[in-house]
Amino acid sequence: MIWLTWRQFRAQAITAAAALAAFAIVLAAAEPSLSGVYHSSGFASCHGAACTGLASTFINDLSSGGGIAGVPETPYMILYFLSVVVILIAPAIIGIFWGAPLIARELEAGTFRLTWNQSITRTRWLAVKLALIGVAAMAVTESFSLIQAWWAAPIGKAVGLGGGASIFSETRFGVFVFPTHGITPLGYAVCGFALGVTAGLLVRRAVPAMAITLAIFAAAQFITPLVRPNLFPTSQTVTTIAAAGANVSLNANPRLAFTATTVPGHPGAWIISSEGVNATGQPVSSVPAACEPLVPQTNVTHIGRGPTTSAPGPNALNNCVASHGIRVAESYQPASHYWPLQLSETGMYLALALALAGFCFWRLNRRRS
Amino acid sequence: MTAVIETEGLGKRYRKLWALAGCTLSIPAGHVVGLVGPNGAGKSTLLNLATGMLAPTTGTIEVLGNRPAAGPAQLARVGYLAQDAPLYAGLSVADHLRLGAHLNPGWDAELARRRIERLGLDPKQKAGTLSGGQRAQLALTLAVAKRPELLILDEPVASLDPLARREFLQDLMEAVAEQEVSVVLSSHLISDLERACDYVIVLVDSRVRVAGPVDELLATHHLLSGPRRDPGSLPGGLQVISASHTDVQTTLLVRTSGPVFDPAWAVSEVGLEDLVLAYMKQAARPVPGNNHRRLEVQK
Repeated sequence: MIWLTWRQFRAQAITAAAALAAFAIVLAAAEPSLSGVYHSSGFASCHGAACTGLASTFINDLSSGGGIAGVPETPYMILYFLSVVVILIAPAIIGIFWGAPLIARELEAGTFRLTWNQSITRTRWLAVKLALIGVAAMAVTESFSLIQAWWAAPIGKAVGLGGGASIFSETRFGVFVFPTHGITPLGYAVCGFALGVTAGLLVRRAVPAMAITLAIFAAAQFITPLVRPNLFPTSQTVTTIAAAGANVSLNANPRLAFTATTVPGHPGAWIISSEGVNATGQPVSSVPAACEPLVPQTNVTHIGRGPTTSAPGPNALNNCVASHGIRVAESYQPASHYWPLQLSETGMYLALALALAGFCFWRLNRRRS
Repeated sequence: MTAVIETEGLGKRYRKLWALAGCTLSIPAGHVVGLVGPNGAGKSTLLNLATGMLAPTTGTIEVLGNRPAAGPAQLARVGYLAQDAPLYAGLSVADHLRLGAHLNPGWDAELARRRIERLGLDPKQKAGTLSGGQRAQLALTLAVAKRPELLILDEPVASLDPLARREFLQDLMEAVAEQEVSVVLSSHLISDLERACDYVIVLVDSRVRVAGPVDELLATHHLLSGPRRDPGSLPGGLQVISASHTDVQTTLLVRTSGPVFDPAWAVSEVGLEDLVLAYMKQAARPVPGNNHRRLEVQK
């Protein structure tokens, strides 16, 4: 059965290996120049507090110093973006091209009548296929992830120190970075594969099964970032506006809002939400009347910590709001929750994959051809 | 005489349509059994149930005394050549033999190799480029080389041209002669059965109309012709299977255990084809209370 699985999977395996090799070669070829910027910016050899500033320098050099005139994004930005996208879509591709045809092709071509009448049960047939190709799916996706993580390590380090900007602004909790690094690619890969197999078994046609796999998997990837913050209990803290690195931002509703950028004592924390509270801890949604004159007339929203240009500016407003006892309540995942969150998300997808596989076994043995 | 396939009230329903209903039969071992019937009689459904490719809706079926496809051991005892001889188009002839070798503990590699050699198949050729006859013979090789006790063939020659059909059946007979294997072979072409089978079962509307060794059936059926008269006036012990009348003459197909002694009738032998057709025609008359709808087995 192992031989047959390999014989039928050989072409896909070779394609995947070629894709992986191309990915590795491109990034390895780009590594020396990235490393050059890393060293020339001084960030590579920084010490202590100087690192934060040098991290920004490094990222700015990467963003602007590509040296190709007239190209809006530098090669580093394009490579960084594409390499993350490759890891992100790899599980879907695996589900579509490895998973969906696995049973559907046999049903379409009638070859299940041949294979299921050899001296081997359907359960064993499916078990070997799922195990071997499932492991291959995980190995390929994780390899993409590890190669990219190796290549982008200086970028990750700079972003972690607060030097992020433009496309390089996502921390490791970021919507695109979190599901493409660590162990989450394992869960996504095996789940995408199991989803494809299940769709193929139910639809019995490879091409519609591919489309269904893509639709469901894309939906899952869209929904996951919404539930991710709650996969592990969040921590709460209340701190001053200045300590939260926040600015008053003025929206339509609620009028008073904050976008915290740091959690005191928790560097690298993932801030999930932040809101204004008064001295008794009640949420505050309006600017105190005394501070209204300081509200800028033209710009409605102020985000970021840019230097104050003209008074009354954000700092004056921040100070005024702070002097009325308004502080920032933050809900966050500390940096130490990175691996628990990774485990939770991976575990969720692994469990989903196992449930789908279990369904396939049940269905295959119960079925009508 | 033990049974290779035994069913009791066996039925299979696809949503609202019964492909097979209330089928009770027993197929004896040690024969090449032809299962014959019109399209939609339930032949393919019966054979798919016997191989465990389908699960019955009602009733029971036992193959070699066990539930079909109950486990690897049971699967090893039954060889199955499905309709249209499914093969992996992208795999070569040699790959298919390796598939058989890897998936069957009782695989007879020598037998498979000899067969492929004799059939003149190129081991490197992809199965997708084989002719219909070659495909059927490669599929038969896979089914035979696993050394089954029972070989089930579902319409093995339906899609072959007459020459390939003859060669295939010839080849099948040789393979069967070499091994001690019972064979059940379905067809709606009676001429195929005449060449290959020594036992015939006529299945119409899930019911066995007649079953028995070919010699015995031929020996106990006679064609009577004589002046037109009422079949009711026949001597006892004769069972009329079919009757046709012209203005002056009556022709009867009768079944009897003994010889026919009635000078009014000219007695002649009957061919297998006429015999089977008579039973199929007999069954085609509406049966009261039987309003099940039939369909061909879905692929």
